[in-house]
Amino acid sequence: MLQSSLAGLTSGGAYAALGVCLVLMYRMVGVVNFALTATGAFGTYVALVLWGHGVPYVAAALVGAAAGAAISALLGAVMATWFYDVGPEVHASVAIAMMIGLLALGFQAFGHGPRSLPAVLQGPAATVSGATITVVAVVVVAASVAIALATWVLLRTTTIGVRLRAVSERPVTAELLGIPARPLTVAVWALAGALSTAIVVLVAPTRPSDFLSLSLLVVPALAAALVGVFTSFGATVAGGIGIGLIEGLVTDSDALAPYSTVLPVVVIFMVLLWSQRRERWDVTR
Amino acid sequence: MSRADRIARPALLAAAVVGLVVVLPTLLPDYWLFLATSAIAAAVIAHSVGIVGGEAGMIVLCPLSFAAAGAWIGCWFATHAPGVPFVLQMVCAAAVAAVVGAVVGLPALRLRGVNLAVFTLGVAAAVSTVLATASFPGSDAYVTVGRPGGFEDATAYYRFCWIVFLVLAALTTWASRRRVGAAWRTIRRSERTAASLGLSVPRVKLGAFAASAAIAAVGGVLMAGQLGLITPRGFEPLASLSVFALAVMVGARFPEGALLAGVMTAFVPELLHRLGIAQDWGNVLFALGAIQALAAGAGVAEIARRRQRARRVRRAAARPAPAAPARDAPREVRPLRAGGEPVLETAGVRVRYGQVVALAGVDVAVRPGSVHGLVGPNGSGKTTFIDAVTGFVAAEGDVRLDGASLRGMAAHRRAAAGLRRTFQQQSASEELSIAQYLRLAAGGSLDAWMTAEALEVVGAADATTRIGELDVGARRLVEVMGAVAARPAVVLLDEPAAGLGPEASAELAAHIASIPARYGCAVVVVEHDMQLVHRACDEVTVLDYGSVLAHGAPQEVLQQERVVTAYLGQEVAVG
Repeated sequence: MLQSSLAGLTSGGAYAALGVCLVLMYRMVGVVNFALTATGAFGTYVALVLWGHGVPYVAAALVGAAAGAAISALLGAVMATWFYDVGPEVHASVAIAMMIGLLALGFQAFGHGPRSLPAVLQGPAATVSGATITVVAVVVVAASVAIALATWVLLRTTTIGVRLRAVSERPVTAELLGIPARPLTVAVWALAGALSTAIVVLVAPTRPSDFLSLSLLVVPALAAALVGVFTSFGATVAGGIGIGLIEGLVTDSDALAPYSTVLPVVVIFMVLLWSQRRERWDVTR
Repeated sequence: MSRADRIARPALLAAAVVGLVVVLPTLLPDYWLFLATSAIAAAVIAHSVGIVGGEAGMIVLCPLSFAAAGAWIGCWFATHAPGVPFVLQMVCAAAVAAVVGAVVGLPALRLRGVNLAVFTLGVAAAVSTVLATASFPGSDAYVTVGRPGGFEDATAYYRFCWIVFLVLAALTTWASRRRVGAAWRTIRRSERTAASLGLSVPRVKLGAFAASAAIAAVGGVLMAGQLGLITPRGFEPLASLSVFALAVMVGARFPEGALLAGVMTAFVPELLHRLGIAQDWGNVLFALGAIQALAAGAGVAEIARRRQRARRVRRAAARPAPAAPARDAPREVRPLRAGGEPVLETAGVRVRYGQVVALAGVDVAVRPGSVHGLVGPNGSGKTTFIDAVTGFVAAEGDVRLDGASLRGMAAHRRAAAGLRRTFQQQSASEELSIAQYLRLAAGGSLDAWMTAEALEVVGAADATTRIGELDVGARRLVEVMGAVAARPAVVLLDEPAAGLGPEASAELAAHIASIPARYGCAVVVVEHDMQLVHRACDEVTVLDYGSVLAHGAPQEVLQQERVVTAYLGQEVAVG
């Protein structure tokens, strides 16, 4: 019971970390980036191809992250150029289209089949009453907390953080105030691309590693971010880890195991119905 | 529309339908007929996304989950009750999917667009997982889904799909012109506006969700009938996403856009295959097309319709305007009570935004049949007062309408109870015609007299004129007329003269002054135009820093020194 639940910790950490990236993007540039993990998968596969050609793992991973950053920056540039001052719904729709396009390009470049990835971080990190916690799990959970904390501090205490908040909430006003909003937008996209590649590279060896499956990591990541309604980092981390733990827990049950990805949706459904029960109005007057 | 147009367009449409439904299938080889049939089923599913997105403004990323629900029910009937007629199966599937859609849509009541999109993607992933495990009923035993009696062979089934599509298209076109369509477009534009018109936002949203699910389910049943055996493949989240992108690209809220989407779904992969190009490039194309459509703000069919509309408006403008319909003598709906108990009364209304006290206990009494002006400098709490009275912000204190307390009532219920308001910014959807907006605002019962009244006040010749085709001032007047068309007890107008020139403003003042006698309701009007206040109001309340500064007849109140000081500042008053 404990073992299988802890087995979900790696997944949960990944969902949390990717979810935090989504919240980061939403709070900094006002976009729910459906294409986040497709970008990360692209970067990961670039790293894989390089590694296959004999490039050392670390170098390959760095180039992969750079590739993820570059692709993401390109998408960010499209957003900043043609979709600068539009509502979140249009942003999301564009990101969905980008995700579909990236997936198709990824299939073309890398094929549909799974690939084996080097599991660099291996083995148990600790043992809790007979159940092991893997190194990967520790690293991704720590990463999610670190990214969340860093972003939170950045947004609250630094000038650039304040500017980014202005960009996400009132893009045109921010620009009129002389904030270099569009370059900042592209930079945030690039950062998110690099981060998501790094996370996907870390967790890919622990799960189905075909291009589609890695890209669809965005679904549980979005679910985690939704627990925090795209604003709260803490709730997102908790949501991501929670989803992972539930997934791990039900793998014990033969009847429920096939539905391990369904339960999180049900849980989120409940959480949302409760947390959003108050009536609220759309954009002020 | 010219007479030639009026005859030519339906004739063209009929010829196209006959060509596509009757002639085409006799010419197509089997394989292409198969693809054409898939195209229609796909068109139905694309239409389901287009309707809920394009009309009601909600992003739904699980159309194929709803389609799968339809197909599932088709399979269930094939296994357990094969005798049930196909059309009945389809109706059942639509009904069940509508319920499922409404349940899935429950978070839509509170979740704004993006969050809802995320949730529906989760649903798409979950349904796909469930299908992969549980599969469709009868799939182990290879039970095939039958086709409707008399439409068994490929050609006939193709025609059957067309009939279903045309019936659905007629239904959605009809609905979009009716109250429900107007309500959807109003929700997309602003939920506040919808509530101010007495619409329950949750109900309208759930309705849109359920309708979309039902349409998609019908598409799913058509697919099941065509294929016979249904597998979980093809209902994956990625497929749903690509339907969404395609629907955005072509503007699938309109039937012709949906058809284009269906044709592209079925034939683009085939075309690429024949050209020796990998099918993935089809999705790249759809993605780019969707991004282009989003940048342009409209899909293919939407742009085509806009152009057509613009041509028609230009042509109509070239013709002499028809004579305005005659107006009967004013009719009184609510008997006016002279003096007596106030129709609207507030007691100690307080509103805080964090540390800021926007209203610090305001008591206002509006006499029946009066026009009550609410003036004060910017930030004095006038709009907040209207928000508090109409239920758009939480407030302490009591609001009584005709003596009954409105405490705890939601905004749309207050509107329905006879408390109507307008907003400072334009809030009516630009896509609605004047008549559609008035009918929506009036709650269904709109007579010719009221329409004629509104047209005269607005200065428009034709009730089919779209609100987006009016100038800004006239749009505000449509909203004012919408508020009175509901025959409320009180209308609250928030700066109705904004955007009007001095002459139009004077006319509006006369009109507002006549509202109580003509339509039988009291008026509360927030306005900065003091001439309008003088001309229209019987009584004036002055607010400053969230408190009542003065109250009385306009001539007296507006002369008071403290009122002048509050408005113009200390120096002017002293100097």
